[in-house]
Amino acid sequence: MQLVLLWHTDHEAIKKVLESKGVHPHKEALLRHMVYMFSIEDISRVTTHQLIRHRVASYDQESQRFSSASRESFVIPPSIAERPEAVKLYDEALQVAAKTFEAMIALGVPKEDARYVMPHAIKTKLVMTLSGWSLKHIAELRTAPEAQWEIRELVSKMYQMAADATPDLLQQD
Amino acid sequence: MKASIIWHTPEPEKTIATAMRRCYSTKPLQEIQAELDEKGEDYWRHLIGLALRDKSFDVIEHFCLEVLLEGLKEGEVGNITMVYPFAHFLSLGGDSWLLSVNARTLLEMWHSSEHKHLVHTITDAMKEKGIGAIYSSVAFGGS
Repeated sequence: MQLVLLWHTDHEAIKKVLESKGVHPHKEALLRHMVYMFSIEDISRVTTHQLIRHRVASYDQESQRFSSASRESFVIPPSIAERPEAVKLYDEALQVAAKTFEAMIALGVPKEDARYVMPHAIKTKLVMTLSGWSLKHIAELRTAPEAQWEIRELVSKMYQMAADATPDLLQQD
Repeated sequence: MKASIIWHTPEPEKTIATAMRRCYSTKPLQEIQAELDEKGEDYWRHLIGLALRDKSFDVIEHFCLEVLLEGLKEGEVGNITMVYPFAHFLSLGGDSWLLSVNARTLLEMWHSSEHKHLVHTITDAMKEKGIGAIYSSVAFGGS
């Protein structure tokens, strides 16, 4: 998983305006005016399906109509990685899917249709822009122990990066 | 009504082009951005044109602005808040507001007769500061 915080709203510029107007808003209200843009790479489509359920955010994701698959293109969940027999089964299934994908393309099936055979484990890349308020809301839900490991890891890192960049507004661990 | 741009997405056109290429490229972001730097502004304009032609408005959502508005009535603020999920207002007292908005919302508001005047005020403020000139010329025809 690779994560980069590309930019965020300049909190100081907003503070200056608020001070000039003598306004002291609640932190939650201010968070709606802070925007953060992230680049996210090498997470599974399982996780992006979960992520995009959070609707008040902007997403642009690598289309599978153009991507190709290789053995390195899949995420292996830790619960599978720690069981050699499960790894063997998982590997076999992914190899069948990847080989079928390539074979269908060789037969002239367009990528946009051949991709139907690809598993959710396939790695993907996206950019995501969201407000501080949305990020805080997503973090409350997705860093909870009930959340799945991959989205928990992703959202924890996103929140930490945003908190490091704007410590006055987001609480750091 | 008066609008002042407090902050905006850095390099808005390159950001929109990045989002556009992210959808169609398998390359890591760093390589996409290097490619965009190499091809330059004409290519960014071309990509923005394609996105708007195909109504791929999601890519322009990454161009965000923070705007100080003075002289905006509370009723209009209420109407905008109800319709546009990416427009957030903070009252600064009287008829002054801080607006957080993205380029998609501005474009949608521009197409509505009700809020076109507000978008004009904001795009004039952008023009004054030379913000998003390429984007504005593609989206609003240079207005």
